Amino acid sequence: MTVALSELDTKFKYDVANEPGGENIKLCFACGLCTASCPVADIDQKFNPRRIIRMVLLGMRKEVLSSDTIWFCIQCYNCQGHCPQNVDFADIMKALRSIAVREGHVAPSFVEKIKEIDVFCQKLRHEMVSEIVDSRSRGTEVEPSGLAMEALKRL
Amino acid sequence: MEKQSGNGKIGAVLVVGGGVGGIQAALDLAESGYYVYLVEKSPSIGGVMAQLDKTFPTNDCSMCILSPKLVEVASHQNVRLLTYTEIKSINGEAGNFNVKLRKKATYVDWEKCTGCGVCSEWCPVVMKSEFNTGLGPRRAIYTPFPQAVPKKYVIDKEEERLCHAACRDACPLHMNVPGYIKLIAEGQDEEAYGLIRATNPLPAICGRICYAPCQEACNRGQIDEPLAIRDLKRFVTDYSDIEKLEVPTVEPSGKSVAIIGAGPAGLVAAHDLALKGHKAVIFEALPKPGGMLQVGIPEYRLPKELVRKEIEYITKLGVEIKTGVEIGKHISLGELRREFNAIFLGIGAHQGMELKVPGEDLPGVVQGVEFLRNVNLGKKVRVGRKVAVIGGGNTALDCARTAKRLGAEEVTILYRRTRAEMPASVEEIDAAEAEGIKIEFLVAPGRFVGNKRLSKIELIRMKLGAPDASGRPRPVPVAGSEFELSVNSVIAALGQAAKTDFVKELCISLSKRGTIEVNPGTGATNIEGVFAGGDAVTGPAFVVDAMAAGRRAARSIDAFLRGIPLPVEERAEPQKLTAEEIQRLKNRFGESSQHKMAEVPVEQRGGFGEVTLGYSTQEACKEAERCLAGQVTGCIQCLECVDRCEAKAIDHSMKDTFEEVKVGAVVFAGGYECYNPSELYELGYGRLPNVVTSIEFERILSASGPFQGVLQRLSDGVPPQKIAFIQCVGSRDAKHNRPYCSSVCCTYAIKEAMIAKEHSTVPLDVTIFFMDLRTYGKDFDRYYERARDEIGVRFVRSKVYSVEAVDSTGDLVVKFTTEDGAIKREKFSMVVLSVGFQSSPELVKLAKQVGIQLNPYGFCQTKPFSPVETSKPGIFVCGAFSAPKDIPETVMQASGAAGEISAFLASARNTLTKERVYPPEKDVAGEEPRIGVFICHCGINIGGYVNVPDATEFAKTLPNVVYAERNLFTCSQDTQERIKKVIEEYKLNRVVVASCTPRTHEPLFRETIRKAGLNPYLFEMANIRDQCSWVHMREPDKATEKAKDLIRMAVAKARLIEPLKPLSLPVNRSALVIGGGVAGMTSALTLAEQGFEVHLIERSNVLGGVARRIHYNLDGEDVQQFLGQLIKKVQKHPKIRVYTDTWIVDVHGYVGNFTTEIMRYRGRVIEKIDHGVTIIATGAEEYKPDEYLWGRDPRVLTQLELEEEIVKKNPDMINCDNLVMIQCVGCRNDERPYCSRVCCNEAIKNALKLREMKPDMNIYILYRDMRTYGFYEEYYEEARRKGIIFLHFDLEDKPRVRQERKGGQLLLRVQVKDKVLGDEIVIDADFLVLSVAMVSSPDVRELAMLYKVPVNEDGFFLEAHVKLRPVDFATEGVFVCGLAHAPKSLEESIAQAKAAASRATTILVKDAIIGEGIVASVNEELCSGCGVCEVLCPYGAIAVDREKGVSAVNEALCKGCGTCCAACPSGAVQQRGFTRQEISAMLSAALAGV
Repeated sequence: MTVALSELDTKFKYDVANEPGGENIKLCFACGLCTASCPVADIDQKFNPRRIIRMVLLGMRKEVLSSDTIWFCIQCYNCQGHCPQNVDFADIMKALRSIAVREGHVAPSFVEKIKEIDVFCQKLRHEMVSEIVDSRSRGTEVEPSGLAMEALKRL
Repeated sequence: MEKQSGNGKIGAVLVVGGGVGGIQAALDLAESGYYVYLVEKSPSIGGVMAQLDKTFPTNDCSMCILSPKLVEVASHQNVRLLTYTEIKSINGEAGNFNVKLRKKATYVDWEKCTGCGVCSEWCPVVMKSEFNTGLGPRRAIYTPFPQAVPKKYVIDKEEERLCHAACRDACPLHMNVPGYIKLIAEGQDEEAYGLIRATNPLPAICGRICYAPCQEACNRGQIDEPLAIRDLKRFVTDYSDIEKLEVPTVEPSGKSVAIIGAGPAGLVAAHDLALKGHKAVIFEALPKPGGMLQVGIPEYRLPKELVRKEIEYITKLGVEIKTGVEIGKHISLGELRREFNAIFLGIGAHQGMELKVPGEDLPGVVQGVEFLRNVNLGKKVRVGRKVAVIGGGNTALDCARTAKRLGAEEVTILYRRTRAEMPASVEEIDAAEAEGIKIEFLVAPGRFVGNKRLSKIELIRMKLGAPDASGRPRPVPVAGSEFELSVNSVIAALGQAAKTDFVKELCISLSKRGTIEVNPGTGATNIEGVFAGGDAVTGPAFVVDAMAAGRRAARSIDAFLRGIPLPVEERAEPQKLTAEEIQRLKNRFGESSQHKMAEVPVEQRGGFGEVTLGYSTQEACKEAERCLAGQVTGCIQCLECVDRCEAKAIDHSMKDTFEEVKVGAVVFAGGYECYNPSELYELGYGRLPNVVTSIEFERILSASGPFQGVLQRLSDGVPPQKIAFIQCVGSRDAKHNRPYCSSVCCTYAIKEAMIAKEHSTVPLDVTIFFMDLRTYGKDFDRYYERARDEIGVRFVRSKVYSVEAVDSTGDLVVKFTTEDGAIKREKFSMVVLSVGFQSSPELVKLAKQVGIQLNPYGFCQTKPFSPVETSKPGIFVCGAFSAPKDIPETVMQASGAAGEISAFLASARNTLTKERVYPPEKDVAGEEPRIGVFICHCGINIGGYVNVPDATEFAKTLPNVVYAERNLFTCSQDTQERIKKVIEEYKLNRVVVASCTPRTHEPLFRETIRKAGLNPYLFEMANIRDQCSWVHMREPDKATEKAKDLIRMAVAKARLIEPLKPLSLPVNRSALVIGGGVAGMTSALTLAEQGFEVHLIERSNVLGGVARRIHYNLDGEDVQQFLGQLIKKVQKHPKIRVYTDTWIVDVHGYVGNFTTEIMRYRGRVIEKIDHGVTIIATGAEEYKPDEYLWGRDPRVLTQLELEEEIVKKNPDMINCDNLVMIQCVGCRNDERPYCSRVCCNEAIKNALKLREMKPDMNIYILYRDMRTYGFYEEYYEEARRKGIIFLHFDLEDKPRVRQERKGGQLLLRVQVKDKVLGDEIVIDADFLVLSVAMVSSPDVRELAMLYKVPVNEDGFFLEAHVKLRPVDFATEGVFVCGLAHAPKSLEESIAQAKAAASRATTILVKDAIIGEGIVASVNEELCSGCGVCEVLCPYGAIAVDREKGVSAVNEALCKGCGTCCAACPSGAVQQRGFTRQEISAMLSAALAGV
């Protein structure tokens, strides 16, 4: 694919940098540590933090804000904890999400739904871990798949 | 040293740091007429370079190239080497600084230390070697590495302060507690016993009944519980057999001493006196010796068998004990005084104190001491059924427990105060109670009641009142509280007194209490020759105190007998730890509790058998390991080294010394530290054994390292098959406050990768994970390509996220992402972290004290046009302390700083330096050879394997040998004196030393014989260490035979050797500098300011060179302003003559005496310039590209062209919207495979400037590797912060540029593949700027021919040595600097220009240059003039004289390499000092033994 910079919004990076959380985006020197440390990228290589940053820097405004990928981040802050340039990618994701909402790429209710999913995931995890801990104390074998079903039922 | 005027400036310089930078600065300055103090905090100079295995890009052995420099600086008469020294402060101002130094105690007298290393072999303390980065061991007494300079030992007591060894200070005998505890912990029980006995002649006794003040003082006790020191001492004695102990023989002094009393004081006094050779006779009133040990302490606490054995050993030393002799009854004190030379009174206190209570004389009331004495002497003693013991001390408890053992059913101790005030030890009280003894507190007897025999005691209750004289609360009777206790026996144990009435005979003064009065420091009484100690002096006290008193008196008596002043004992008080220290120790060691000795169960304790059972070996080790000293201190003061050192160099009492020196200038060359990556948890350092740092890996690879160069991983010693290098660990990391680039890691990682592959015994894969590969130095890119293409090192552009263990195999999984976003996990057997540089905290502290400005990361702040100056005048900097850098740049800066100082202090030159002065040389011509042979034992190094006495006798039999001797260390200072004396005495005219290697020691011996008036070449050496004792360790006979052969060969040659006279050449003290750019002008000015005449040659018609096109730099400084000032200074300087429009035509001569012919005014004038040195600074040029439409489209510019447009404020340029820069145009390709080093920084500089002018300009920099090394990285960060976009491309996928029509426009379209997106990016540029290569100037090769200096493949001048001689040429007297050497920044050019000037100065200051004595000479009669020699000579030193038709040697140029001699077909060329006859003689001698 060819990307013609003349067709892009080269000012996009400044907009992101002006958004709370996005301040350090331009510091990126593309080392890729955010991607290597990302648990989401680990399960879905389409989610590539370094690539998202590059797209912002080049001015691919529409492509970024309307993409699915900015919603995949689980806000674990692992990237942020390791980035040698303090680019703060997890915060950048927040900035991009609020711009996306503000500019109408998603409805506010979408954001609410994402929040619910996050809470649900946390609960699910909590239930599953408790289950494993309990079953270990009972001395029986752990059946994670079964556990998941059980936990889901209870939720 | 005589001080002369230097315009108020001092002609000496302080160099801070003994690494390669400090060494170079010191050598340059010392050679330029300044006295140098070279201060290094560690015991040896050498710095980090000494730790490196190899150096890039030549893969030379680091130590091999460094070692000669170390020896050179150490032996320079104008360098004072101050190793193991810290700088406390630097005060004053430029030209006159005051430096306060702390010379740390080495505990080894370096004047005496020969560096033999025997001490270290015997030292029991194994520590981690700092030199081997903790991977290998060293001892507490050590020298950091085998080639250390000075090769002297130090004892590591650095951490001792943490522990204070309070136990030792608390012990009245000052026993070496940490020492023997450490030995116990290491299972060296025999050594521990020896160490204990060294200070305590009654250890088995003290191991049981000592009150152990050491334990009270023990620092471990402040953390948790004190160490069971007494029990450990007992453990050692339990496992030692005193009856087998060796008895030393002592020379008798003929003096005798009478000792009254065979108690602990008398026994120790007698023991010590006997060891001094004095005859000691002990008079003891009791039937058995031992005093209270024998009669006071019950058997169950101290078996009498032990007392007997320890006393028996003392008698074996020659001490005589006369028991049953009472002074005043059997013999008078007066008589003893007449018969003996001195008297010691150690009579103890055996008189029980009376209770002064009615009824005391009733039968059934006995004195405690008497009771115990009778029991201990085996008398029949009966006690009643119910026994009361009165008193609260140990005697009372001994009485009670003894009474119980004698059959008493009910034993009660009556004490008038409470438990807290009881003087008895806690263990004794606990043991007594456990055995069923009752203790009644706050009770005192009022009356003993009984009819003929005691039947009861009337008692009264007490309460505690105000403190009495002893500081304890006074017991006060409680009125009306009287009660009765029925008893059968009462034992009164209130205390004892000495029976001292008999001493009145000699008028010895007594105290009111009846004790003998002595001087507490010496034990002397008021009567001369009479001494006293123990309970008779102090009143009842402890055994160990009495022993200490006996020791003190013995020391005094010995002095008295020798007629010297009595030594006064000084005691160190045990220091308490501060709360902070306690916390620190707690954090470090955690808490643990004392391991208790097993005891006999109470129910089995009927008889007098010992109650405690002692430790097993395992228990003792466990307990001993709790000692903090064993863990934190280095030296444990076992004094093994003192015994082993033949040179008697060890002195444990040494103290730090302080010194103040005055200097005119200071150079900070303190180097750097390696980053410790433990904080980067994911990378695994510190938690995974197979993750090591690059410096550790360097040691792993090194042949002198912990594994002798056998590549292996740490977890299992198995050779790795796959290694990953992770770059930028602690560099380019803003998160961990290290945003700067450490500059050298990329290249050193490549080096380590290559060496690892070469070293590995198994096929090895190496991968280097990097972000930008920064091989920007001279020839480094070639090195990188060789590693990648020829050696097969794999390079992956990625920052590694994590390193994790896979399983129990020790293998590791590295997680990273590739440029396209794929996440990879790859298995490696070992990971190396390429750690960055950081500045050392000590250096930062000193810099702050001095007041020099540092950057936020603790590196010294310098300015671009004054790269070796700190913010404080007179204080200079070089090396990694100013920014991370490699060795050649450090050396350049070091010479640069030296050049700057040389100019600054020129008025004080030669005011403090000294010259070597020698006696006149003896004429030995025509004399029959008289050879002296000195054969070295080198401690046990040679003597342990070669039979040196035998070899010496053999040497004496050789022809012309008039003298032969053997020395423990032939190189020691005293032996040098001896050699000179022997030369005198035996009229020697040749000297042979058979020892180690001439490489290190020949200069020393040559110097020695020169001092004795012999020509230094009348010396020959045989290497019987390396070639005999080292290689034939297991065959001592053969080693000895070979040593004899080598000696025979050396002697055979010595018979033929002749004095040699090296050529002395005068020096023309002017310089020729070629090139009028910044480098040339800076060199010229640095020399001219020192008063040397300079001829500055420039081809063009103006000065300034390429800098004329540079207007500003990254720091924002105005380059043109600087350049203008520089040109003005040069033009105005009276010592500089500038020749513009001038070309060099021809060159003649050699160092000190060059003649250069120049052509001026387009050939109308030819002039000759005579000069002593030449500096080449001909610069370089910008490459004129034929790629990317340059020259075909006006919108395509080079960076220099862009800069001109910016300065002109070209409106089209500064108002444009889209600007693209392409890096590496015309370089890093096949044609020019080198990096031009400055272009990344130039691009960023211009990009930032443009953004400053138009903040919303889109600037795209297309790069291969951003090489913003060192602190330039900050500008790279700034550029990104400002929104400049950086896109990476590969050589295989270069950007494409084309013109494209669109509408009415002709677009300049740049297309590049973005690796992250995977897409083609198209940018329509308003301007395209090319960062083009720097290329050498066209006349380089011609100039190189004229001055006989080499040029590399890229057309840059090739220095003498890429690491250590970066501005010198192999041709002496010619130097290079600036871009002519290699692409570099203005700042670097300036430093190098000063360096070239400094190197030139070392020649210009000399009156004459002394050549080499060992040079070739031609026998003209044999020479056919074939010219083979001329062709082969690498120095152009031999040539056929066309007129005479024979070869002639130019001795000024000859280096004595011998190539011509070997090549000469007619044998006409001979090497002086290695003539054919000499070599034949050696060969015949070698074969004589066959």
